[in-house]
Amino acid sequence: MQEPTFLILTALAAGAQHGYGIMTDVARISDGRVRLRAGTLYAALDRLKADGLVAGDKEEIVDGRLRRYYRITDEGTAELAAEVGRLRANAAVAASRLGLAGGTA
Amino acid sequence: MRGPRPQQRLARRRSRMEKRYRRLLALYPRDHRREHAEEMVGVLLAADGDTHVRAPKPVAWALRFGQHAADSADLIGGALRIRGRMALNRVRRTRWLSWTVRDRRWSDALAVVSVVAPLLLLVAALTEFRIPQAVASSVTGHPHWGLTATLGLADLPMAAGAPGVTLLVFLRLRRLAGLGALATAIGQLAAGAVPAFAGYADPAVAFTVLLSCTAAAALLLSPGPDRGLALLTRSGTALVGTGALILGGFSVGGGVWFGPIDDGAPLRSGDFGGKVAGLPADLLIAAVLVTAAAACLRAPVSRRVLALLAIPVIPYAFLWQEKLAADLFGQPGGGSAIVPSSIPLLYLPPLLLASLILTGTWLARRRAGERDRQVRSATSGPRSAVRA
Repeated sequence: MQEPTFLILTALAAGAQHGYGIMTDVARISDGRVRLRAGTLYAALDRLKADGLVAGDKEEIVDGRLRRYYRITDEGTAELAAEVGRLRANAAVAASRLGLAGGTA
Repeated sequence: MRGPRPQQRLARRRSRMEKRYRRLLALYPRDHRREHAEEMVGVLLAADGDTHVRAPKPVAWALRFGQHAADSADLIGGALRIRGRMALNRVRRTRWLSWTVRDRRWSDALAVVSVVAPLLLLVAALTEFRIPQAVASSVTGHPHWGLTATLGLADLPMAAGAPGVTLLVFLRLRRLAGLGALATAIGQLAAGAVPAFAGYADPAVAFTVLLSCTAAAALLLSPGPDRGLALLTRSGTALVGTGALILGGFSVGGGVWFGPIDDGAPLRSGDFGGKVAGLPADLLIAAVLVTAAAACLRAPVSRRVLALLAIPVIPYAFLWQEKLAADLFGQPGGGSAIVPSSIPLLYLPPLLLASLILTGTWLARRRAGERDRQVRSATSGPRSAVRA
């Protein structure tokens, strides 16, 4: 899973959000390291929707503009959980080889 | 005089930006645009408001310019990613080389050609290696035609391709047979290019190259031999095969009637008729073959089959006229033709015919589409009036 995808799913794991909300949340989660722009965000959302990991939620009009919310699906949650497991396992192996965790301390 | 207020300036700038972003959003697929364009514009404008900083004018302008350039590039990148993904999905969804002609009559005609053209290709290969001539010689006792003694590299495409394609056709491996026919055509073209394109001016080569191409198109664009055999029926296929074999064996270059003997002078066998007996015999066999093939099919399909088969058969006419020249002037072989064959004469008419067929089918499809639209609008018209 690519990092923007991981971060978008992470942002949505806390609850449904609209496009701009996802952008700011991703910047916050990544500590400002990843700044999604509209083109990248909507291309990713389009793919995630097609893969069934994300679905459209409610819509509202704010200041005369459409705001559509997106939510993570059960499949998306499972995929994110699996990715977290993979990253955690990889991180544990890397940490143990670097002597950062486990019996060396 | 005071300039516009900051609020107005901001509104104007936003309106300009919105126009610019909308122009870029036109790059996105229509469905995506319909669903997301409004919210994307909203997100882009909201993000722009966020990055607004107080700075000296040139710095602020440079920052804004950088922001817009990055957003624009990102929008273009997003459009390319989405379009690329859509194209890839279409390819993935499509079964391997499964695109076939939609029009039923053309599809049926191509299906028949997908059986007939490989058969003709096999006959052409057999004739090239003098197999029917050798058989005919042994049957009639004519002594001068044996099998081709040596096969060169240039003979390989036909020697391997033609039997291979026919075998694949009768194993009902349509796509593989189509690719095989295409490879046979390419192989012949490559082989023809060896002695400075001299091979292309040979009507026999033009015939087999165009026949391979026609076979490939028929196999790749139609339901294939399954449907073709069902339409042609087994007896029809046998008739076509036998007729082609007779035509190939007894006519190409006047193989059995004429041939070099030991001193290189042409031989005319009295057993096979008079001076021009060969040509009417060819025409008679061709007429029987065409009538038989047409009789096996329904009229609209047979017309199309004949149009498709005419593409490779046009250069074949040059073989006949070479033979006619040999009959009349007694000089078989090169230089005896009434009209010397050349690359444009051999290839342009078939290509023109193929273009005509393509244009005709395209126009027919467009007309059918317009008719459908008219019918749809006529049927939906009263309903919308009621709704209104």
